[in-house]
Amino acid sequence: MMRNCFSSSIRQTLYPSTSLFKYLQKPHPAKSFPISSSSSCSFPTTTPLFLRPPIHSASFPELKKWQDWAKHLALSVGPKFLESDNGPDADLLCRELKWLLEDVVVDDENATASAASGVVKLRAGLEELYALWRQRIEERRPFQYLVGCEHWRDLVLCVREGVLIPRPETEQIVDLVEEVICEDGGMREGLWVDLGTGSGALSVAIGRLLLDAGRVIATDLSPIAASVAAFNVRRYGLQDKVDVRLGSWFEPLQDVNEKPVGLVSNPPYIPGDHIFGLQAEVARHEPRIALDGGKNGMDALLHICEGAATLLKPGGFFALETNGEKQSEFLVDFMTGKMKGRFRDVRVVSDFAGVHRFVSGFCC
Amino acid sequence: MAQSISWVRLAVAVRGRSSLGFNYSIYHGGGGGGGGDVVKCCCCWSSSSERRDDKQYLKLEEEVLMDQCEMSTFKSSGPGGQHRNKRESAVRLKHLPTGIIAQAVEDRSQHKNRASALARLRTLLALKVRNEIHDLDNYTPPPELLLILPLKSTIRGSDVGPQIGPNNPKFALGMQALLDLIFALNASVGDAANYLGLSTGALSRLILSDHSLRMAVNELRASKGMKPLK
Repeated sequence: MMRNCFSSSIRQTLYPSTSLFKYLQKPHPAKSFPISSSSSCSFPTTTPLFLRPPIHSASFPELKKWQDWAKHLALSVGPKFLESDNGPDADLLCRELKWLLEDVVVDDENATASAASGVVKLRAGLEELYALWRQRIEERRPFQYLVGCEHWRDLVLCVREGVLIPRPETEQIVDLVEEVICEDGGMREGLWVDLGTGSGALSVAIGRLLLDAGRVIATDLSPIAASVAAFNVRRYGLQDKVDVRLGSWFEPLQDVNEKPVGLVSNPPYIPGDHIFGLQAEVARHEPRIALDGGKNGMDALLHICEGAATLLKPGGFFALETNGEKQSEFLVDFMTGKMKGRFRDVRVVSDFAGVHRFVSGFCC
Repeated sequence: MAQSISWVRLAVAVRGRSSLGFNYSIYHGGGGGGGGDVVKCCCCWSSSSERRDDKQYLKLEEEVLMDQCEMSTFKSSGPGGQHRNKRESAVRLKHLPTGIIAQAVEDRSQHKNRASALARLRTLLALKVRNEIHDLDNYTPPPELLLILPLKSTIRGSDVGPQIGPNNPKFALGMQALLDLIFALNASVGDAANYLGLSTGALSRLILSDHSLRMAVNELRASKGMKPLK
């Protein structure tokens, strides 16, 4: 922890984020949605690589030398991480290396011109690139924290230490919401809530599905998460539509009781005693508060079920992510048993890997 | 703790008007023992796809085309979700009417891999599915074919717009129409060039400019005992 604080303060000295933000934020390539070009809301601590101005450069041989070194380091891992804690193998690390280059190397017409003279424009200096890749392999720092972003659905979401990296499974919650909205157009103009928003992934994606009158309130207990979520919301120009509120679960929602037409959440659901067995990227680097669901992992999920029954408007929709089979079954039993009469059409939905990942339904 | 990795088939059932047509649901069936889930596929055919028997798959809307596909995702055993930070987000699409398979692994999100696999499927459909040209004497090239022709083609009106290349999503449609014509002319590039108002050299250059198009034409020529284009 100490080391993290230390290195990020150094990075901050190297890249004072406030002044940088005047240059940056060119929309990411292949993005059709307008992304805020000016932002008063700066990213807390280090700026994600892909948003930094290309003020660095290296010669081709220098960059190639770094790439060969990084590849060699990745290959030397072999199946070691995979066998020890189900971590990434050499193939995946090599793919990450390619993505790291995508974020660092500037690829536009000017870059092509300067490349002709043998110089490559970069968004981070070579020295930092060596340090970053060493962190990836030696400290198992997650790739997404290295580059400061995660590609999720058609979004590029900024992340940093202290915020859960959005998972591919969670992308499907947006599909479930879209399905409901397609059947009932009124949902598109209502109020949605996203509890424990983290990077703001679900809120940004749902905000983009809603019509002008539609709103999202995103809550998170962590000030870091709330500020990262607010940053992502602004980057996609949704600040008038998505309201990020600091606080635990339902606490910041007392003024909207019985108004929301929908509720989504990917709360911490890993049983507490499983945390240390997780792959190092997760166990050592991601915020425990976003992972640890208490003794059997159900603390937050049960709290949300109970709260949802009073918060949602009658007919309101909910979709929750769980740890899989047992938790989903338990939740369905709980909602149709102990909370009988409060919910209808409660069902389990599987994720893309066939795990019974989600529980969805409607409020009575 | 090494993981066994397998493909999981998902049934694709598109409902409503999803922007990308990627809603899907999974039906579990049988087995249940051991680590590998048995996922039974159930495919929903939309009425619009049933009516089409002219193999014009490329003209289908994204959702309708997805409807005809069985989608599988790369799965490693284990709990996934918050447990894991790994992008094993490969997607494989099997187009059931033709059996053509397209997959994508290299993108950074599950969503993009699906879009890439679908784009790849469109290219493969263009390359592998031939539509018959019934009346060669009165053949007029369809507009999507005109779009990929070089400007010097004498049948290409000035209203067609600039020539589009392989990176344009509409290229697949033009490529399919071009292959249909070459197929109908028994793989003769010279004859096809005549129909398209081009010299044989100019059409050859167009074919050679795209790797997959070149391979498809040469495969066709090989089947007729002709020399490959180089």
